[in-house]
Amino acid sequence: MNPYRILLAVLLLLISVVAHATTIEMHVNGLVCAFCAQGIEKKLRKFPATADVVVSLEQRLVAVALKDGQDIPDTDLRKALTNAGYTVTTIQRSDTPIDAIRTRLGQPKP
Amino acid sequence: MTRRSEILVAALALSAPVLACAKPIAFAEGTTVMLEYGAGTMWEAQIFYAPQYNYSVGGGHVEFDSDITPETVRVTYARLNYLVHRWNLESAQANVFVWGGAGGATGNTFSGTELAVNAGGQADYETRRVYASLKTDLQKANAFSIRVDTLQLGIAPYEHDYHQIATWFVVQARNYTGGIHNGVELAALLRFFKGGAWIEAGVTNGGKLQAMAMFNF
Repeated sequence: MNPYRILLAVLLLLISVVAHATTIEMHVNGLVCAFCAQGIEKKLRKFPATADVVVSLEQRLVAVALKDGQDIPDTDLRKALTNAGYTVTTIQRSDTPIDAIRTRLGQPKP
Repeated sequence: MTRRSEILVAALALSAPVLACAKPIAFAEGTTVMLEYGAGTMWEAQIFYAPQYNYSVGGGHVEFDSDITPETVRVTYARLNYLVHRWNLESAQANVFVWGGAGGATGNTFSGTELAVNAGGQADYETRRVYASLKTDLQKANAFSIRVDTLQLGIAPYEHDYHQIATWFVVQARNYTGGIHNGVELAALLRFFKGGAWIEAGVTNGGKLQAMAMFNF
């Protein structure tokens, strides 16, 4: 098979995942108390693209649900968390609904 | 205690590799209100606003009531808190804070209102299971010099998450200079917090109430 076609297929697949991403999951260092979580949640809810925020101290995870068709660039997310006083180690996008993440984390729905 | 030894103790407090949780800066663009009742010898109210995560501005009022002499001192002050450094570890956080400010003081051993300066610092370390903090806070004027050094060690019976109530068992050792209290005052405290609200209360080795409440919003 033509390697260019394979590359194109992979790119299209990646674009499709990003385009349909509904949730951003970030692992954050230094996330140890409710006040940390409160500050991060407050900061992330200020993005116009944010629909919901879930924070797990147990998993050191911050998840942001995006509004339909909207996104927040990684650079903006890293800047927001850094300006909140924390260190982002990973950023991943998925189409996992935020309530599914809550369930996975054992957190109640609001 | 001499001025030199006061500076030395403050420097040690800032550099000691110890582990805290009640911070003068909670989070960026957040307001912190703290109220503390210190076993009949001290009570304090503070309010700070943090424009950024690494500094906050505000003020407070503190009253000292000596249990050795009839002396009372009241200071109302403005203060700047600064986060010198934060270590964000995978499952822990450590911080070093310093602060300074100035205000007016009144008391029953001097007349009128005196200019008082405030300086202090805090080093802390915490995980979701253990924490420790060492804090020193000096209020000084021509008529008095009172420093309060506080060491707290805490352990949580379970690891709380954001949506749960956090519970901590805390032991506190506090030393006052300036003729406020003789010896080191020990206290056993029970602390709860959830979201932006925190309350702790306990009893000292003198059988007195020690309590604190803090709200972040």
